[in-house]
Amino acid sequence: MKFKFQVLPVAFALLLSSIPAYAHHSFAAEFDGSKPTRLVGKITRVEWTNPHSYFYVDVVDANGHTENWGCEGAGPGALSRRGWKKGDLKLGDTIVVDGYRAKDGSRLIDARRVTFPDGRSVYGGSPGDGGPGDNGTDQGNLPGAKKG
Amino acid sequence: MAQPLLQHLCQVLYDSPFGTSIRESDNAFSLIESVHVLSITLLVGSISVLDLRILGLILREIPVVRIARAVLPLTWAGFGVMFASGFLLFWAEAAKSYLNPAFRVKVVLLLLVGLNPLIFHTTVYRRVTEWEREHRSPWRARAAACASLLLWSSVIVAGRAIAYF
Repeated sequence: MKFKFQVLPVAFALLLSSIPAYAHHSFAAEFDGSKPTRLVGKITRVEWTNPHSYFYVDVVDANGHTENWGCEGAGPGALSRRGWKKGDLKLGDTIVVDGYRAKDGSRLIDARRVTFPDGRSVYGGSPGDGGPGDNGTDQGNLPGAKKG
Repeated sequence: MAQPLLQHLCQVLYDSPFGTSIRESDNAFSLIESVHVLSITLLVGSISVLDLRILGLILREIPVVRIARAVLPLTWAGFGVMFASGFLLFWAEAAKSYLNPAFRVKVVLLLLVGLNPLIFHTTVYRRVTEWEREHRSPWRARAAACASLLLWSSVIVAGRAIAYF
């Protein structure tokens, strides 16, 4: 009996350590790291929100058909520290978003690298979320990533 | 009315300047989350001691009432801070929370977990002096203790799951 209850706290600690520290989900909960995707489109909506930010772009495909894609990024605090301020994305701006598609096949990507109209690019992901290049760089499996 | 009253209220909270300022904050949101988690540990940690004693698994030599007196003020303090911080998080995300299945499950679980001590304290706990020294409490008390452990664990699982929907 005594042994049993000494094991409990250890099991509990192990359980806790498997849970991400903040109330946002991990990369793998929603996105597929083997599906790198590049979107080039015009901003239609921005949600500067905790715990994740979202912005939406109209992307025109080869047939001239327009589709609206959602892009998920880190929260306001993390993006601010990387020099991306609330008003930086303006409706109608054309941006390039490199990231990974949602597992459920919806038109949503995890925005790992966002390139603004002025050419500046910002890492948009959440460091340590388990996705490719989660050490705070914009590398991973994205197009143009430095290998090694 | 185009949408249910509850949904409308959630949208009003969501659109309010205060809710928006938390939602768009650099640091406040994650700070409130930390306070929320800490208060949950205080609440669930302290009530679990009483539950485990009632089940006869720990501190058997100490009467139930003595443990209850030591533990319940901490539990209530944890509950107060947990509720306040949780409401702030809900305020920031209300319109999304309303549609979130895990959040709905969590609200139902919170109602159940509130009902449990209400039943416990108005029934078997009234005669606690008759059984507080027994190592193993009466089955009604043990059932309440099991329900408490199970329901609070489920609340935490459901709360954690909100981020995944």
